[in-house]
Amino acid sequence: MANYNIDAKKETTYDAIVIGSGISGGWAAKELCEKGLKTLVLERGPIVEHIVDYPTMNLDPWDTELRGGLTPEQQKKHYKAIRSGWIGTDTEHFWADDEANPYTEKKPFLWLRGHQMGGRSLLWGKQTYRWSDLDFEANAKDGHGVDWPMRYKDIEPWYTYVEKYAGISGEPLGLPQLPDSHFLPPMEMNCVEKHVKNRIEKEFKGRNMIIGRCAHLTVPHNGRGQCQNRNRCSRGCPFGAYFSSNSVTLPAAHATGNLTIRPYSIVQSLIYDDAKGKAAGVRIIDAETNEDIEYSAKIIFCNASTLSSTQILLNSKSDRFENGLGNDSGELGHNLMDHTYRVGAMGTVAGFDNKYYKGRRPNGIYIPRYWNINEETKTDKFVRGFGYQGSGGRVGNPANTEDFGADFKDSILKPGPWEFFITGFAECLPYHDNQVSLNNEVLDKWGQPTLTIDAEFKENEKAINKQIQEDAVEMLEKAGLNDIIGFDNEHSPGWGVHEMGTARMGRDPKTSVLNEFNQVHAAKNVFVTDGACMTSSSCVNPSLTYMAITARAADHAISELKKRNI
Amino acid sequence: MDRRKALKKTGLLAGAALATPSLFSLLQSCKEETRLTWQPEFFTEDEAKTIGALVDMILPTTDTPGALDVKADVFIDKVIAQTYNTEGQENMRKDIAAFNIACQENYGDSFINLNETKRAEVLKAAEKTSGKFNPGIWGKTIGEQEPIGFYRSMKSMAIWAYMTSEDIGENVLNYLPVPGNFEACIPVSEVGNRWSLG
Repeated sequence: MANYNIDAKKETTYDAIVIGSGISGGWAAKELCEKGLKTLVLERGPIVEHIVDYPTMNLDPWDTELRGGLTPEQQKKHYKAIRSGWIGTDTEHFWADDEANPYTEKKPFLWLRGHQMGGRSLLWGKQTYRWSDLDFEANAKDGHGVDWPMRYKDIEPWYTYVEKYAGISGEPLGLPQLPDSHFLPPMEMNCVEKHVKNRIEKEFKGRNMIIGRCAHLTVPHNGRGQCQNRNRCSRGCPFGAYFSSNSVTLPAAHATGNLTIRPYSIVQSLIYDDAKGKAAGVRIIDAETNEDIEYSAKIIFCNASTLSSTQILLNSKSDRFENGLGNDSGELGHNLMDHTYRVGAMGTVAGFDNKYYKGRRPNGIYIPRYWNINEETKTDKFVRGFGYQGSGGRVGNPANTEDFGADFKDSILKPGPWEFFITGFAECLPYHDNQVSLNNEVLDKWGQPTLTIDAEFKENEKAINKQIQEDAVEMLEKAGLNDIIGFDNEHSPGWGVHEMGTARMGRDPKTSVLNEFNQVHAAKNVFVTDGACMTSSSCVNPSLTYMAITARAADHAISELKKRNI
Repeated sequence: MDRRKALKKTGLLAGAALATPSLFSLLQSCKEETRLTWQPEFFTEDEAKTIGALVDMILPTTDTPGALDVKADVFIDKVIAQTYNTEGQENMRKDIAAFNIACQENYGDSFINLNETKRAEVLKAAEKTSGKFNPGIWGKTIGEQEPIGFYRSMKSMAIWAYMTSEDIGENVLNYLPVPGNFEACIPVSEVGNRWSLG
């Protein structure tokens, strides 16, 4: 593949600018380029070319000196993100520098960022589920937040469109609360997972346990290879077997000849043309030279990630928009959501000591939402609901075994005990006071204002968490597990890494930032199609919905451009 | 850290019989000193010998390699030198010192000077009194983790060093860097030992 790093300095005018190259930015770039628009993608960090820039993709533990351990310097660089427990030498280079890019937590909030081409599409969990009208109608029905300006039927064709291209594996079930995708063959559960599934489905009417639906190829697809079950995804996949911007959408955009990616480009703000009533372009700071540069375009897609897109809009001040571009409603920065996380149960499973598996399947199981999906399942303890993810395997922690010596050594070489866990993901309501704001006291490495994050889970989320743990323990008990431990570990948002909202879509410009096609109400050539646009949070992983929303918005942008409406 | 706390942290305080240095251990300390064959980055020579002796007790050489065969002690030294902050390093020194003081008080001599039977007694007592690791999911511990104490922390490091060494990873465990298909249910007998890559 040709080098992406094209010198964008000579050319400062494009048809379209896409800010950010992660999951949604990659889709915006692909769709706009394929429709013939000369598109500039502005990426805050370095180029990460598929395969070429995956330095750790084939390393075994013993290939690195510290076998995953981080030096004090690396720990300092990632002092916030390290709380996730996910950062090791294998992926350290794909996590943002917390010291250069500070943020302030008024209440605890983990903001995980990936500042490179591909963004967090390199690091994501790859669980891919469609949302349903249970989600799109939720705000209207129970009165929390504002109504989504679209319904499932509006986005359904775009789910199909992105799924067919991205490649989503899974099993169709026909559940109304979790619509089936256009699937590649499903992955398979191991013996213990199948056992637990059978027990849970027998004991609990209306509950299903399914193999995770995920953006991993189970068969070759669109020139990409199938999953080899290495489970080293976050280092970058040499087979291109999981969906990332780097392996899927950006190469497609590049192939059109219409794509320019400018790395090390920190978007400072959007430029608003008061006379024309639309955005004229963007101001960037070159992260390496500190040079200020302006680029202009007919349309601008904001895909910098939920909080970063909002940060850019808040920082885009003009006579027309004193409090940030598109902020007539005062809702910009508000209604931040995430899913609750790490609440559930785990236990051990007896009777399968002579069973094992081959391969490191990068996927687990899923238990779709079963509360508040109809009259029969309604509870008065909380509104909305939750789903579970989990998995079973033979790992264990032999350090806890009260033994040592020759026999002990032999025992740790054998497969560990069978363990199984489920952890819930609960829907978070859109609360106006869960918010981000510009912080002019704490500046980043480039002298730009940063974000203060002030968000917390409230009573409804806490009530759901209680149910998650109770149900999880009960299900594992009925499934016959031993040594069951219920847990409720995280009480603050961000850890779910499903941050959503802060520039929500809505029907009314007085209470929302974006319209039904993700256009800023008062600047119709500005589209926000990353997580910032979300009006509610569902309990279902959001990335597939970002993809579909982005493709839909790009299609609308092209059509509006043709009609000269923008 | 006061000494009582230090002893508690080593997991050797409770239940262990107090003993004064015996003639036997005094004789032991007169035996010929074995020199360390590698240059530690962090440990003193005595500390390195203590850790070496400890990991050798936990994972001894049999018909399969032991911890020392795969240089677990060398790796542990490197990890402490290169990934611990100053406070962590100081605590490690204190822990090793406290461990040896406890050995001295309860078994009559520092760990390295105890014979294998005595060393085994030290470990048996430590196994009973050391904290346990809480389970974790997705890289994070579940619940409030009580202090683990020196012994189990070091045991955990020894197991990590052992299992992630090239010799064990490639030659003793089942090494399969590119599995290809996922096989959901196979008999253990088909592979014997566990997969080396997690």
